[in-house]
Amino acid sequence: MSHLPAHRRTHVLAAFMLGAMLAGGVSAQVVPEGRLLASNCFQCHGTNGKGPGFDKLAGKSASELYKELLEFRSGKEGKGIMAAHAMGYSDAQLRALSTYLSTQR
Amino acid sequence: MDRRHLLRALAGATAATAALSPLLALADDDRKPRKKKPGDGTPVLPPPASPKARVIVLGGGMAGATVAKYLRLWGDAIDVTLVDRSLTYTSCIMSSMVLTGQRTMSSLAFGYDTLRSRYGVRTVFGEVVAVDPVACRVTLQGGTVLQADRLVLAPGIAFDEVPGLTQPDAMPHAWKAGPQTSLLASQLAAMPANGLAVLTIPAVPYRCPPGPYERACLIADWMRVRKPQAKLIVLDANADFVAEKDNFSRAFFDLHGQVIEYRTNVVVDSVDPTSRTLFTNGGAVRGDVVNLIPRQRAPQLLADAGLLNATGGRFAAVDVLSYASTAAPHAHVIGDASATTQPKAGHIANQEAKVCADALARIFAGGSPDPAPVTNSACYSTITMSKASWLHAMFQYDSASASMKAAPAATTASAGWNGDHFEDMGTWFRALMADSFA
Repeated sequence: MSHLPAHRRTHVLAAFMLGAMLAGGVSAQVVPEGRLLASNCFQCHGTNGKGPGFDKLAGKSASELYKELLEFRSGKEGKGIMAAHAMGYSDAQLRALSTYLSTQR
Repeated sequence: MDRRHLLRALAGATAATAALSPLLALADDDRKPRKKKPGDGTPVLPPPASPKARVIVLGGGMAGATVAKYLRLWGDAIDVTLVDRSLTYTSCIMSSMVLTGQRTMSSLAFGYDTLRSRYGVRTVFGEVVAVDPVACRVTLQGGTVLQADRLVLAPGIAFDEVPGLTQPDAMPHAWKAGPQTSLLASQLAAMPANGLAVLTIPAVPYRCPPGPYERACLIADWMRVRKPQAKLIVLDANADFVAEKDNFSRAFFDLHGQVIEYRTNVVVDSVDPTSRTLFTNGGAVRGDVVNLIPRQRAPQLLADAGLLNATGGRFAAVDVLSYASTAAPHAHVIGDASATTQPKAGHIANQEAKVCADALARIFAGGSPDPAPVTNSACYSTITMSKASWLHAMFQYDSASASMKAAPAATTASAGWNGDHFEDMGTWFRALMADSFA
């Protein structure tokens, strides 16, 4: 998978945010997409993926994270707990949480 | 805030904490002292000078600590006050390893300093005597009244009274980690070499579905080494293993088959603590040590507030998009006290707390909760003193049933147990506790 889907998604989100602000429906704060989904990762990889815990996720690109998650989900990485975990998400969810995690440094 | 009351509560709690003396040698605590890392990138968030909303969180366990932290992290100037009777939380997770001398009680203690200093959570220590879920008011013993825009209730569980159990210490539950955990450890250590221990498992739903089975495995393995002629009878009120059946049945019948005798559909009707006898639907059972885990419900405080409207009046029905009570929508109930399709356990309580924090942050900003939350329950079970298995489930919101629905592909357990999983369990615990308390 390339950067493209995540990239395009960011634009869509930005457009949505702008629209929402112009419409005046949502006040100042806008929730970053994928944050709540990604918080499932925080339990074992630390808040915002920064540890302590298993592999640090902060600092990785969205495409790298997404690719790794697809590998876990396909079973290529064995039948471990991460494979079971990855199997619970849809493609869109894996992309969204990877995109959020990639914003963490 | 009543400063005098707070100071009194602090003094009392310190005395109580000091009474929990660490146990035994052999300790293999994962929580090595860690250096403070002031520059690790997490900004320090002082309490908001001009709050846009106020939340009171009742209960500082896995759910309560996590929701307090994430309300501050994700919310826009939300003032958060965490109320608990105790200055420190004692983790139930890993506490069965105190029974085998593999962990100390102090290694299970987690305080609120980081929630205060890094996230700007206010803390109040005292006994809550009343909750008004409509006015969002909480009354403490001594008369202090706290008020907020929303309440988040994370009080954990209470136990049903057991007829005849006039001396609770004669048959400790050790199912809320604390003094009873140490007590059960010393009772097991003092048991005759050919003694008989009894462990009872209550009817579902109870806290930590695999917990009693993993405790039985751990005790059986410890007996093999330390009390080679001892036996363990497990009386299960349920018809079968309620979690991780493949692993636990192999462990009970094969690995620990010489030590464990497993009886199903056995309900404890009453007890005689003096002779340590359990009177059950299957006859009387006497033990040298009895670990009696009673049936569970949400605490009385929530019943008095009119919130226990599910599971036959035992737990609180909630909207799982925000964990708002269906009886009082400005009071949110998370963790073991709520009635959902998810297990009652610390790991998923942490994730329920984040769903609740995210929903409140959105609501206070004029929006509505995420329409498709996802939670997961992942944990490790000790099958021996050095080998573990794992169990995993993931829950996706199902709008048709308005409930969290288990994703079948992600609901599974390890094929057996090994030392690597045991090691991973230590990492898992460290990470989870840090995500909740630090």
